[in-house]
Amino acid sequence: MIKKLLASPFGWLIGILLSLCICLGALFLGSLDAHSLLNSEIGHNILWNIRLPRVLLAFVIGASLSLAGVMIQSNVRNPLADPSLIGVSAGAALGAALMIVAADFVDIQVHYYIPVAAFIGGILATMAVLKLGRNDMPGGMALLILAGIAINVVAASLIGLLTYLATDSALRHITFWSLGSLASANYFWLILCSIALLLVCIWLPRQHRKLDAILLGQAEANTMGVDVKRLQIQSIIFVALLAALAVSACGIIGFIGLVTPHIGRMLIGASHRFLLPLSFFLGGSLLVIADGIARTIIAPAELPIGIVTALIGAPVFIWLLIREGRRLQW
Amino acid sequence: MVMKINGLSLNRNGKHILKNISGELEGGKIIALLGPNGAGKSTLIQSMARLLECEGDIELQGQAITSFSAEKLAQNLAYLPQHSQLQFPLEVEEVLSLATLPFALTKLQQRQQVKQVIQDWGIEPLAHKDFRQLSGGEQQRCQIARTYLQLSNMKRIDEGREIGYGLWLLDEPSSSLDLEHQHQLQKVCRQAANEGHCVIIVLHDLNQALHLADDVWLLQEGKLRAQGKVAEVMTEELISDVFNVTARRIEDSGKYYFMFG
Repeated sequence: MIKKLLASPFGWLIGILLSLCICLGALFLGSLDAHSLLNSEIGHNILWNIRLPRVLLAFVIGASLSLAGVMIQSNVRNPLADPSLIGVSAGAALGAALMIVAADFVDIQVHYYIPVAAFIGGILATMAVLKLGRNDMPGGMALLILAGIAINVVAASLIGLLTYLATDSALRHITFWSLGSLASANYFWLILCSIALLLVCIWLPRQHRKLDAILLGQAEANTMGVDVKRLQIQSIIFVALLAALAVSACGIIGFIGLVTPHIGRMLIGASHRFLLPLSFFLGGSLLVIADGIARTIIAPAELPIGIVTALIGAPVFIWLLIREGRRLQW
Repeated sequence: MVMKINGLSLNRNGKHILKNISGELEGGKIIALLGPNGAGKSTLIQSMARLLECEGDIELQGQAITSFSAEKLAQNLAYLPQHSQLQFPLEVEEVLSLATLPFALTKLQQRQQVKQVIQDWGIEPLAHKDFRQLSGGEQQRCQIARTYLQLSNMKRIDEGREIGYGLWLLDEPSSSLDLEHQHQLQKVCRQAANEGHCVIIVLHDLNQALHLADDVWLLQEGKLRAQGKVAEVMTEELISDVFNVTARRIEDSGKYYFMFG
């Protein structure tokens, strides 16, 4: 029932409307007097220049990370895979940390350059992983994951090294950034991330049956007309693009990429025809809600959003896991 | 001719897995691949499905197999692997419908074909179950049905008759089937061959091979020890030697049986 609805235009409309409601709710969250917020100049400014891009960016990033999660999990046929697995998040974090520490020695507009450094770091790490884990041999995908783990370890130890060089304020900055925050959201990042997401949304739904075939096995997919190697490389490039942009815009937000695809699968099964739209809406909505909570629960201060996504996502995930476990009698 | 293999060899870590294998696979025939464990049966069938890179030439429908796009390859051969390892919750019906992926069919045609194959194989009660929840034998049946559905789309019209031209590669399809379904599989293999397809089947049960296959390829340590008609290849001496057992061939009303001791 839900499945049929999801694949129909009507289902998409409902999904978009629901997401808009969530975004709208988040837009006015924490300001009880919406009327005065809309009328005063400061209120106007807060609403349109700070809160609106932030809420929309939260949705776009959530949807991006969630789709990236579906892509990487299906391609490596491993339910534990996550966009950070191919090293993109670690590389981005290293780039950002380098820039934060460097800012203590060089006089530059650090807020401006951190996202750029993160993006370059993320793409470089992904390229290194692709080079190391050559995909054109049997077991190539496993090799790719191992290469990702190696890059993750290297990046983590380099960040550890950097924390020794960092001043107290830089250290605090690195920590905050590594937990993720949407506080610096603006229209620039919103547009950039939206374009990337749009590209993926045009390409990905056309591959839905091929991704289903890969789930059955690489040999099966290869003999069912899927050019597995090509699809995997394309997917990884898109995952890297989405994840690097997401990390650059708002730091490392864990959990969404790993868990939302699973929540989707447990609700409606693994067929990508339904899973892709559901993950899109679930990921986006979840991050908007998480951000709403992050900026209101200890107002006027703000919680790092990575903590909130983990705190909401983990119990939901555990509940679904228990339910699924009973059904499958694991 | 469906496939022609010429001087096929495969080395892994300096060890010969397959050595200089040549042969021709014709439509309308069932060919059994026999041999002890580690003889290279699965490797050979995977090479035929272009899943492994190896030396030598393989021609499919008169063209080098390397020149086929993934889609075109899937329009010419269907492959059943030994094990399936699905980790995600797909329904049986969804798994079956993937068999129509390489062919340009309308949604309606796809649905009709899937419905038909579910009926033919008696898997209606399983159609909406999670594939991972099925028993080993049930999974095997569904996978066989999936590859059969793919194969049944490989037909061309010749002088008003539908003629099959596909290659059906089955790697130990009957290993976890009960007697009833083994029998059903044999019937379907024969039917596919009669339609013009070529069926390659890896078997461990020599008596099954005797009754089902037209030709036999006997493998030993990666080499083709013998190939030819079933009754000619499967002699007491050769089977005893290759499988390292004492085999006796008994004739009963025109049929052969093997007894081992």
